[in-house]
Amino acid sequence: MDLSLLPQALVSGVLASGLYALVSVGLALAIGVIGIVNFAHGEFFMVGAFLAYQLFVSFGFDPLLSLLIVAPALAVIGGVIYLSTIRFVLKAPELNQMLLTFGVGIILQNLALVIWGGDPRSIANVPYRSIGYQLGGVSVGMVPLGSFVISVALVAALYWTLARTPLGRAMRAVAQNRVGAGLVGLEVNRVYLVAFALSALLAGMGGVMIAVIQSPTPTVGLAFTLKAFAIVVLAGLGNVRGIVGASLLVAVAESIVATMVPGGDALRNAVFFAIIFLVLIWRSRKVA
Amino acid sequence: MKRIVIVLTAALLSLGLAQGVTIGVLAPLTGGAAGTGQALKAGVDLALAEINAAGGVLGQPLAIVLEDTKADAATGVAAFEKLMTEDGVEFIGGGYSSGVTLALVEPFRTFQPVVLWTGGAVSGIGIDGFDGIEELLGQEDWFFHVHPWDYQNTEASTAFQAYTGVQTVALLHEDSAFGGPGAVGAQALLEEAGMEVLLREAFKSTLSGGTGDFRAAISKAAATGAEMLYWIGYDSDVVPLTSQVRELGYRPQYIFGAPPGWPSEFDAAPEAQCVTGLIGFLPNMPNPEAKQFLDAYVAMHNSQPDNYFAAIGYAMLWAYADAINAAGSTDQAAVIAALEQGTFRSPMGEWGFGPSVQAKHQGFGAEMWNVFQFQNGVRELVWPVERATAPLISCN
Amino acid sequence: MNRLLRDLLVALALGGLLALLPAALRELFGRSAVSYLTLATNALLLGVLALSWDMLARTGQLSLAHAAFTGVGAYSAAVLLRFAEVPVWLGIPLGGVLAALLALVLGAATLRLYGIYFAIATLAFTEVLRTVVQKLPAHIAGGAPGINVPPLFRPTFVAGQMERWEVAFLRNQGYFWVYLGLLVLAVAISIALQRSRLRSAFTAIRTNEEVAGVMGVNPARTKLVAFAVSSFVAGLLGAVEAHRLGSVSPDGSFAVHTTVLALVTPIFGGLYTTVGPILGAGVLAALEETLKRTFSEGYLIGYGIVLVASILFMPRGLVGLLTGIGRRLTGRGSRGAGATTGTLDGTPLPSGDPPSASTEAKP
Repeated sequence: MDLSLLPQALVSGVLASGLYALVSVGLALAIGVIGIVNFAHGEFFMVGAFLAYQLFVSFGFDPLLSLLIVAPALAVIGGVIYLSTIRFVLKAPELNQMLLTFGVGIILQNLALVIWGGDPRSIANVPYRSIGYQLGGVSVGMVPLGSFVISVALVAALYWTLARTPLGRAMRAVAQNRVGAGLVGLEVNRVYLVAFALSALLAGMGGVMIAVIQSPTPTVGLAFTLKAFAIVVLAGLGNVRGIVGASLLVAVAESIVATMVPGGDALRNAVFFAIIFLVLIWRSRKVA
Repeated sequence: MKRIVIVLTAALLSLGLAQGVTIGVLAPLTGGAAGTGQALKAGVDLALAEINAAGGVLGQPLAIVLEDTKADAATGVAAFEKLMTEDGVEFIGGGYSSGVTLALVEPFRTFQPVVLWTGGAVSGIGIDGFDGIEELLGQEDWFFHVHPWDYQNTEASTAFQAYTGVQTVALLHEDSAFGGPGAVGAQALLEEAGMEVLLREAFKSTLSGGTGDFRAAISKAAATGAEMLYWIGYDSDVVPLTSQVRELGYRPQYIFGAPPGWPSEFDAAPEAQCVTGLIGFLPNMPNPEAKQFLDAYVAMHNSQPDNYFAAIGYAMLWAYADAINAAGSTDQAAVIAALEQGTFRSPMGEWGFGPSVQAKHQGFGAEMWNVFQFQNGVRELVWPVERATAPLISCN
Repeated sequence: MNRLLRDLLVALALGGLLALLPAALRELFGRSAVSYLTLATNALLLGVLALSWDMLARTGQLSLAHAAFTGVGAYSAAVLLRFAEVPVWLGIPLGGVLAALLALVLGAATLRLYGIYFAIATLAFTEVLRTVVQKLPAHIAGGAPGINVPPLFRPTFVAGQMERWEVAFLRNQGYFWVYLGLLVLAVAISIALQRSRLRSAFTAIRTNEEVAGVMGVNPARTKLVAFAVSSFVAGLLGAVEAHRLGSVSPDGSFAVHTTVLALVTPIFGGLYTTVGPILGAGVLAALEETLKRTFSEGYLIGYGIVLVASILFMPRGLVGLLTGIGRRLTGRGSRGAGATTGTLDGTPLPSGDPPSASTEAKP
């Protein structure tokens, strides 16, 4: 085992947790506040990624600039989807919610296939995409660093919103007691609408980041969604702060195994999901 | 019973009376492999328009029936059987994915239509205990393979790397059916050619569940200091791989990859500079057919043929048209003889069928492959030297 | 017991009737029967998969591990054949048994997980298992390319006496009957569960596990039974499918897509019933094929629209819709099959309940 790679593995792992947190935080909001298991969340990433791509192709916008357009656009798309479908299944069993959102996902995915085709696309010029700062034999990538900072800031902002603002209090209220909140006069439906739009907005930001680091395709969202679901569950439903810790745990473990084990980079998903599996089991036993 | 009624009604409605010759084409038009399937379709559509503009086949317009396989084995079998029975075609073209092809082995053998197959590059040669497509179908009279086998890709890749003069190679490969066996074969060939493989490391492709973080594999490659970074993966891996190589400060002399295609617009990316790749068709290849194909393709589809399956699909359909016209009838034996003897047009130049290690009818071999290099936003053909449009440059 | 026997006989009779479908298709459509049979077989497969998933779901356990069970069934058939040349009539059942054993292990480990926690744990398990299979030495499990699996049926072509399509017809008829047999078996198991004391145990656990315990139901044992039975069927299915498709591979045999279909189909058809998942499979399969044949591009958009609309307009699935129509026609107040599914069948809960209690981890 070559220990000289360990520092790089640690740094890469810590930074990679940023992207994981970024793609998970919106989903945490949807599950935690609205109680909706959104199978179409990955398609929000996909749409965000394609919009960032399209803005680059049509207007030459840098993805960071596109963020300012894509995020609100996704909020609108999320809002429309909420009003046209989601709000009718709020009280339905979660299986019904899953089928509904799965259908929404299929629609979005195949719309993208018709509009953009199946070939991988790429944002040709992202000036900061390949920049890495070499510090004492360790490379710190600008994109991973940026997404790490952005996602920590987002999680902090979301946490603060939930804890300190009237909107956040309303969200927590409906999350904890849907009926009670209704009784005290909060407009539950409006809170849900805002929460779902916010969830889509956050997914859109994740999508822009995905467009920076890889190629938008109609199916680009799936791998991230599976991992985001796992991270949200690992953090504990409704625990927004826990997202950062959960992301850090799995990302660092993934990176260390990937780097230190021969052939390890192909084991990333196995390590990721093994940790999720073991933690869930261990936690369920501990509680009992 | 309701579902049966629905299926049957739909089937009856879709029964059209075919006039002239009809070719059944299978391609993944939806799902994860849709990009390649759509490229195949685009090439076939162009060839069809040209063939019919040139008088069609046997004096009648040629027709195609295109079926989506979703790159799913069960769907592929149903689609093939529909073509053979409901549509009554005698000629099959297209195809993609080894899983679909393996599922079609028995149905193919049952119907024994003429098959011009563009998919299933897994030959099986060199994999103990696993029968690949070449081993299973190669000896069938009616089976024609219109795509190089995996070992032919490796042969060309090795020849190019030997040409560069590098001594050391770090080999990164995606870990599924495409890159796994490919990498084992590649290492053996590279070592045979006198190069030292310092690392052979798997990664999880973005096409098979990965999230595009290849930093661990690249760090290890960087630590070996190999002069050549050789990677086997998919087109959606291109952007993360090339950008992370740079981010991690790895500066091999050459970065060489063999994905099925390259992402649209990647040519202009700074990460593309000096990256080399194996490709079947390149718009600026010196042969006149390439230019013709490019112009016609752009005129019809308003986009560039980025995925070489467009060129392969085009070549496949023209081969059918020319062979049936040469045979003068749709008689199977005559068409097979015409396919065996003929030379056909393609964007890559003239081609025909010949034997490969296990197959009787192999169209396109190692000689189809070219290596291009992104140089200042242009894909310059750099190998084989006799076709080169620009000299190969080192990344350093 | 009487009703159980009656239901089983009805299922058997319907199965026997359906067994005549190949001959009927051939009579009606000639050679086109070949592809119709494959489509019908694909629908049967979906029905078996959906019913198998539903059996477990009746205990409230939302499994995302069905690809693991079909995958294990497929791989055990392939590996057994490779090393021991186990005859298929033994290899396929062994595939089911090994899947059931695996389910017992997974079930025991995840006993205390509920709702989405259970779902994600089972999904994670599948992903790990896929990698393990892929990384096993290639001479055992074939590595990334997988293993070839011989067909179950290879009818011989006799030139001059038959046409080529008739060979394909015979093969497809064989697979159709095998899958029909699997479906009848799954239906029999499902009916037996529905007509036994396990049914109320399942429903009790799904509705409220603590109360179920008080009622004298052993939740752990009951859930394990459901898990084992469900994955036994899934394992059989995987083993047969390996033969039909000619190979197993890590990416093909453990595809997330299988898991998703296993879950979507029963919801669409009607949860916690025997008829619902099968009905859902038939309608979804026919719908997709019809859309595919009608629209050259973007046909899956229509498929998605139907799924969304189905939840909005028939929250209790096809079964709920049909029983509703049946009630209206007969004018009787009895709620029929849908009523047995309690509050989790899609009827909006009374506003006093949190909508998704099962998504929270229960202590």
